[in-house]
Amino acid sequence: MAFNYDQYLRLEKMPTLWCWGCGDGVILKAVIRAIETCGWDQNEVCVVSGIGCSGRFSSYVDFNTVHTTHGRTVAFATGIKLAFPDKKVICVAGDGDALAIGGNHTIHACRRNIDIKFIVINNFIYGLTNSQTSPTTPQGMWTVSQKSGNIDPTFDACNLAIAAGASFVARETMLDPKKLEKVLVKGFQHNGFAFFDVMSNCHINLGRKNKMQSAMENLEWIDSITTPLKKWEALPEEEKMNKFPTGVLKHDENAREYCDMYKDVQAFHQGKRKAITQDDFAKKI
Amino acid sequence: MSIFKAPENTPVWVDEARCKACDICVSVCPAGVLAMRLEPTSTLGAMIEIVAAEACIGCNDCELNCPDFAIYVADKSEFKFSKLSDQAKERAEAIKKNKYMKLSA
Amino acid sequence: MELREIISTGNDLAAEAAVDAGCMFFGGYPITPSSEVMHTISDLLPEIGGTCIQMEDEIAGVAAAIGAGMAGVRTMTATSGPGISLKAENLGLAQMAEVPLVVVNVMRGGPSTGLPTRVSQGDVRQAKNPSHGDYRSITLCAGNLAECYTETVRAFNLADRFMQPVFVLLDETIGHMHGKAMIPTPEEVKKGIVPRKVFTGAPEDYRPYGVGADEAAVLNPMFQGYRYHFTGLHHDAKGFPTEEIETCRKLIQRLEDKVMMHTDEIELNEEFMCDDLEENDVLIIAYGSVSLAAKESIRHLRAAGIKAGLFRPITLWPSPAERIKHFTDKVKNVLCVELNIRQYTEEVERVSSRLDIHGLYKVNGRAISPYEIVNKVKEII
Repeated sequence: MAFNYDQYLRLEKMPTLWCWGCGDGVILKAVIRAIETCGWDQNEVCVVSGIGCSGRFSSYVDFNTVHTTHGRTVAFATGIKLAFPDKKVICVAGDGDALAIGGNHTIHACRRNIDIKFIVINNFIYGLTNSQTSPTTPQGMWTVSQKSGNIDPTFDACNLAIAAGASFVARETMLDPKKLEKVLVKGFQHNGFAFFDVMSNCHINLGRKNKMQSAMENLEWIDSITTPLKKWEALPEEEKMNKFPTGVLKHDENAREYCDMYKDVQAFHQGKRKAITQDDFAKKI
Repeated sequence: MSIFKAPENTPVWVDEARCKACDICVSVCPAGVLAMRLEPTSTLGAMIEIVAAEACIGCNDCELNCPDFAIYVADKSEFKFSKLSDQAKERAEAIKKNKYMKLSA
Repeated sequence: MELREIISTGNDLAAEAAVDAGCMFFGGYPITPSSEVMHTISDLLPEIGGTCIQMEDEIAGVAAAIGAGMAGVRTMTATSGPGISLKAENLGLAQMAEVPLVVVNVMRGGPSTGLPTRVSQGDVRQAKNPSHGDYRSITLCAGNLAECYTETVRAFNLADRFMQPVFVLLDETIGHMHGKAMIPTPEEVKKGIVPRKVFTGAPEDYRPYGVGADEAAVLNPMFQGYRYHFTGLHHDAKGFPTEEIETCRKLIQRLEDKVMMHTDEIELNEEFMCDDLEENDVLIIAYGSVSLAAKESIRHLRAAGIKAGLFRPITLWPSPAERIKHFTDKVKNVLCVELNIRQYTEEVERVSSRLDIHGLYKVNGRAISPYEIVNKVKEII
């Protein structure tokens, strides 16, 4: 028996508009398998995506889907989740969407610990708009807005998420979709904000101009800059700077989830509002 | 469970309408089961082909790594997969060196 | 209509109205002079099981509110001029994806940081087109305390009827005005709630955006078995992005026609002492807190033997073109009084085809007194 993705796909939209070999498709499959493993009903899932190649994610899957403005993915998702706290909300955004224009919203969604699953598809470039520098583009790489080589320093998205207070932070790459699926399942089952930094390949835009023309070469480069967390912790300090640790980097099961905490607010206000009646005015006179 | 049955006696099969000839499945197959053939009417002028079905070990890497839902693998109850042989490994290497294209012999 | 007496401020009344009209979500950010709307609603919503959240910025505030609207609940945000500027992109998304939303704008001195604690009506032109592209804004303006309540209620019903954001403009004077108002009871308001249309057929037959050429989309709440797609891109009947020639043309034309072909459902005016106006009398056009001064000035003018009347648009956009023209065709002396420079005057000029409209404007954060209006009228005639 092979996994039949068709139930979860909007078949009339196939084939996807993603380039041949684009990691987005592999991540899509991993997310679908993870949702199936978690036993979520299609009707109770909402997928929100941003702008960019990864933004097209939501139009391919058969859930309640939203395609938002650039960078505001988690802000919209916060509204959807708070309106229906018992439903499942998954956000998908690119590295530019989540970390550049949407950086502020990412930080605060992490801080709030609201039960939203935020998958950042980090392909180190602005892919859809043809190769502009993103906050994670390595220094020195050719981009169309910095042809002499990117001078912008980068940051570690997972460190940002941890510092901002996310209770579940994980990083995986496209190299092992089974590992990715496992990490997604763990994050989906976590009750709180789950931040996934998924390193993906954009060999068409980033790769071709930076000596990584094929999907496999691009993936091999990602392999060279990542290493599993346990191995990373054993590295000497100078080498730690050159590699990203993968796996579950933080998993705080005790942090209170936001919608849960809001229930306390709702309980507090019960019976507080005194209805105004005409008698109140009669008494004044 | 969203599953569907494999065709009779088939370890791996392809939906050609969906393949974009990205070469990923060919590059991850350890047993040289897959290769690209020339196909002028499809994306990039190539199409995936199953060249050595009997060598398939059922590792599922091709299905997991295909971004376009184009390739599927049966499970152990539907097909008796083989073990990874040296010959299969060599063929896999040769196909990769041949730019993922079918070997002519 | 059953009325009740209440002593409150404009901002608080807007919050009360929202809750009475069935609002279950508020997403916003503090900004003077609108913060009280959020303060009050943050007490009212949790009690009825709703949610109020102060987001990290204005943009997130409206995004969360629109998200809740997409999910299917009645939703609102409140802000002032700078906030509308920030929210503009997402307001455009709400227009395009046809998401009902009520946006309260308590106007203050602008542009930019302007005069945060002082009054103006400088966001009227902005309310017509806060975001880029072609669409029609529905903008209501409260002219007294009671209307802070009733217009907010009307805004929710209009938002659900036309499936788009509806602006409720207060100005700082009215927002912070504390006084007595006669407003409908919550039961009356509940009776008048007209929720958005919902499709009840089979999910496979559901076409959220596949509606008639002058109709609003029919968007079912999420999580009930009707799965479709929201997007800001041009989209087809199911909500999926498309670039097809006819589909795109029809979509934008429908966004225009769904409002402009049904202005009768949106238009609302007050014609104060206008019935007996003749050619040599004076027509004053004013809205918001200025209309209160205008009414007082008309009492003085009439006592002094000058026949003046006030035409007060309560729905500012789409403008009541026919009704304005009816008066501007009849009356020679037309005076627009606003706390901005000619923003609505230009609309009056456009619909009346007259370039001799008089104006009294103030943009320094101070109110226009009845005497200033009286003196201006005496100057004109």
